[in-house]
Amino acid sequence: MRYRLEILTLVAVFGFIALFLFTTVAAPGAEFAGSDSVGSSQIAALTGRDMASFTPLVPQWEPPSAEIEAALFALQAACGGLVAGYIFGRWKGESDRNRPG
Amino acid sequence: MHIMEGFLPLEWCLVWWIIALPFLAWGVVRLNRILAADREALPLLGITGAFIFILSSLKLPSVTGSCSHPTGTGLSAICFGPAITSVVCLVVLLFQSLFLAHGGLSVLGANIVSMGIVGPLAGYLVYRALRDTRVNLYFTVFFACAVADLFTYMTTSLELALAYPAEVGGVATSFGVFFVIFAITQVPLAIIEGIVLALVFKYIIQLKPEIISRLRIFPDEAVRAARGEA
Repeated sequence: MRYRLEILTLVAVFGFIALFLFTTVAAPGAEFAGSDSVGSSQIAALTGRDMASFTPLVPQWEPPSAEIEAALFALQAACGGLVAGYIFGRWKGESDRNRPG
Repeated sequence: MHIMEGFLPLEWCLVWWIIALPFLAWGVVRLNRILAADREALPLLGITGAFIFILSSLKLPSVTGSCSHPTGTGLSAICFGPAITSVVCLVVLLFQSLFLAHGGLSVLGANIVSMGIVGPLAGYLVYRALRDTRVNLYFTVFFACAVADLFTYMTTSLELALAYPAEVGGVATSFGVFFVIFAITQVPLAIIEGIVLALVFKYIIQLKPEIISRLRIFPDEAVRAARGEA
């Protein structure tokens, strides 16, 4: 079947969404914090230290708000999308031009 | 998988930097060599790098009640090997350290080792083991990419366990704790990532099969079969 992989991808994505919905129902209190933050909290728990006592070894700029952080993540994805879209588009154009007839 | 800035003792930061640096240097040499030999490899490098940018920016919820992100490194590992992938990851992780406060400069070595070296190396080994067998080409890509993703998070767990061994049970207990946080969360994401990157590889094979053959990523027969020409 020509679109087998596309169908499989759609099924997997919908399966993933279903799994997420199931988790939100099964664990209503889940906050869905980033695993990075959960890992950092675990370090604090293991060492018995307060989270605030972990200070950067190298000074670091932080996005002033969660919205700006989300925008920068979107910018990162957009950069990747632009590059991938440009290259796939160029290849598609070349492929169409080289097609006999 | 990011270890946050300040959350790794200085001595461990240095250890992971010392491990990462030779790999990065080797990656730059390999990158120059490949691009000098075949400029047509550059768009493929762009595609693989672009998907690392895209996928590592997506924070997705998982079954454990926390969020995580795919890595996207498997495709680059298959096409260019783990050394070049480590250089691409350096760019992505540097962007995230400087502009998103995800990771940091002192822990960059540790994050490169997990996302840019061990994960891609594991995926590359899976790809090499399956490349010349009768296993379906797209399944090989799927499996290698999923393994690369999972091993990234297992390595992060190990890095943290080594730096923070539990009082009772030491590194093994600590690894178990971090493994649940990072690696278990990652299982569904790794599966999705493997499927999506297999689909991306299908489009590469459909549009530019000659680059896959020229870089000897897969044998010609496998590429023809994947295009439905065999």
